Amino acid sequence: MNFEFSDEQVMLRDSLSRMLDQRYAFESRRRIMAGQAETGIWSELVDMGIVAMPLPEACGGLGGSASDIVAISELFGRHLVIEPLLPSVILTGRALARFDPAGPVPRWIADIGTGALRGAFAHEEGSGTGASSTLSTKLYEGEAGPRIRGSKKLVLGGGEAGVLLISALSETKAVCLAAVPADAEGIEVRRYRALDGRPVADILFHDVAVDRAAIMAGADAALEALLADARLALAAEAVGAMAVLMATTADFAGTREQFGRPIGSFQAIAHRLADMKIAYVKARASLLYIAALADSGRATSRDISVLKAQVGRLGREIAQGAVQIHGGIGMTDELPVGHYLKHILTIDGLFGNTDYHLREIGRVVASA
Amino acid sequence: MNVDFDPSLEAFREEVCAFLDTAPTDAIREAGRKTTSVFAPFEATMEWHRLLYARGWAAPAWPVEYGGTGWSLEQRYIFSEEHWKRDLPPLLPNGLIMVGPLLMELGTPEQKRQHLPGILSGKDYWTQGYSEPSAGSDLAALSCSALADGDDYIINGQKTWTTLAHKANKMFMLVRTNRDGKKQQGITFLLLDRTDYPGMHIRPIIGLDGVAEQCEVFFDNVRVPQAGRVGAENEGWSVAKALLKHERGGAAHSPAIRRKLDAIRAAARDATASFGGPLSEDPVFQRDLGELEAEVASFEHVEKLVLSGHALADDPAMPSLNKVMSSELSQLLSIMMTRVAGIDALPLQLEALEVGSGVQPLGDPFSLVAMPYYLNTRAASIYAGSNEVQRDLISRNLQTVRA
Repeated sequence: MNFEFSDEQVMLRDSLSRMLDQRYAFESRRRIMAGQAETGIWSELVDMGIVAMPLPEACGGLGGSASDIVAISELFGRHLVIEPLLPSVILTGRALARFDPAGPVPRWIADIGTGALRGAFAHEEGSGTGASSTLSTKLYEGEAGPRIRGSKKLVLGGGEAGVLLISALSETKAVCLAAVPADAEGIEVRRYRALDGRPVADILFHDVAVDRAAIMAGADAALEALLADARLALAAEAVGAMAVLMATTADFAGTREQFGRPIGSFQAIAHRLADMKIAYVKARASLLYIAALADSGRATSRDISVLKAQVGRLGREIAQGAVQIHGGIGMTDELPVGHYLKHILTIDGLFGNTDYHLREIGRVVASA
Repeated sequence: MNVDFDPSLEAFREEVCAFLDTAPTDAIREAGRKTTSVFAPFEATMEWHRLLYARGWAAPAWPVEYGGTGWSLEQRYIFSEEHWKRDLPPLLPNGLIMVGPLLMELGTPEQKRQHLPGILSGKDYWTQGYSEPSAGSDLAALSCSALADGDDYIINGQKTWTTLAHKANKMFMLVRTNRDGKKQQGITFLLLDRTDYPGMHIRPIIGLDGVAEQCEVFFDNVRVPQAGRVGAENEGWSVAKALLKHERGGAAHSPAIRRKLDAIRAAARDATASFGGPLSEDPVFQRDLGELEAEVASFEHVEKLVLSGHALADDPAMPSLNKVMSSELSQLLSIMMTRVAGIDALPLQLEALEVGSGVQPLGDPFSLVAMPYYLNTRAASIYAGSNEVQRDLISRNLQTVRA
């Protein structure tokens, strides 16, 4: 058994941390979010090999494993990075690599790997669960070939993407994945930002024509793998955010004085901090364990649900504790604390929230 | 990263399974099924101890030179997993996990020679004399006194929560030998090679679960040899801390906890939900079971990371973190057990719980133990350093999480 990051992963994390410390500190991030600063971060991530990392080697990537994705995503969470590594590469790029290499697909993957093209995964339709059983978007045979009709919500990076990966049901109700250029006729995009500042979009597909070579029929397993990647990467982001909240809140409680002494010396505060630490240790242990399981190809949907549910509930416990212990200042927009809370809440809502995953775990284990 | 035990350990697992499948007697198996405490039913568990000793497996955590197995942490985890899967009674901890390893570390050669063989073989059972009526969480406030007199000490005072003292033939204890200076100074660690010294009086205490597991022990001018002192006089606090390290370290709790959850899942398939249908298909139950499963899984992950030597294992707060997690998880499981048992948890069935009583329980075996386990497990957040004390310790080690 070994749950440490490899030497290569540690080196990559060190250089990514240095870059983000310099370029993505909280104040810089605020300017980036407000559109007052050019990020340039994406091209840095390309240069560091991080954008190509999650893609298979056969597609020009670096064959990134689950733990590679976790190693990077955890640092993204620590810095509240909203660059589109998850929607473009981890989700769309890796899923396209499972398609038959025909038509436009290989070109799209190559361009996603160089960062020149961005992809987005249009899946959510409103249930919030990510479950394929709730899909209603249709892939049907039109007069001049296959077409897609349906509407998708909260598509991460959907407004900036050049290619859209869409989940849909065929006329025989089979789960399919299809990819189309984002500028195809009949696509309507409504851009907005999510709670934590991530650019997202609602996307309507009005009978959009699809290249037959860019369709994967019988995509249940591919969709399951895609959702596992999404949940694992988001969980890693959440754990990264939890570490920052834990450390900054402990520091704050050690220096902030009321009644003539540091508030951390009061047992009510000390014990809440202890509970936050317990929550953090559990969440991080599950992240590393399930990353290792995923590396061996044996992470079940139950394992992934455990991880997603735990970072949801434990993350909320830590983030709400952090706001409370910071007191009034924790309620302000100028302190990072609230931004981490919103990051954690957003993550919880994506691809199945805590309640969904807990119920799903219970359903599976009660009958096993 | 790699989640697997060393593959060469599969043969070891088979060897363990073969023995555990065949060696226990019916009484031992019954004791395992009727275990509702950290302290399994005494007589049958000591019988199991002696059978394991005969196999050379009584002390998985002891080094070979003292008659232990010399197993790695992974082997110990595997043994524990297979042991719990079969509902066998866990061996009593005071000798094997507490005073035995302490003597290996700090005992004189004579003390080791005198006491370790009996601990290992199961001939002796040791009770722990630490707490007093006015010294619980604040253990250093203890006042039970020992006065040096020739080659002896004369002990006066009272100990309480001396688990199974009425079954024990040996006792390790903390006594006050000096009242000057800080209260941690002036404490001495003593081994009593008998529990029937003149002037020593043991009174069992009936617990919430109706069972006499705890005792109080009164000392009225009890004369014991000074040869039983571990460490120097007045240095007993550091000896006690060394023992605590053994008590809280090493052993994995997740195999026992996983087994409880398995029992809950099985029982829920036979139980009826309040609004009809099997409880296992009730949505509210499924949600709560899911939360329990997630918590059990995370705790397993923590223990496996520690087992693997991950940096988490070096966190100075890890013993406290593990104690809080395992005790509170046990309590959550105990609550769920009583929920699943429903009204079948309400009959008071002390005789049916006794090993060898031959009294058939009302309801199923799961329901028989649900409420006694729930009641006994209230103690988990109180003993071995209350969870409030543990949280104090955890809050002093927060800097180990670095952003």
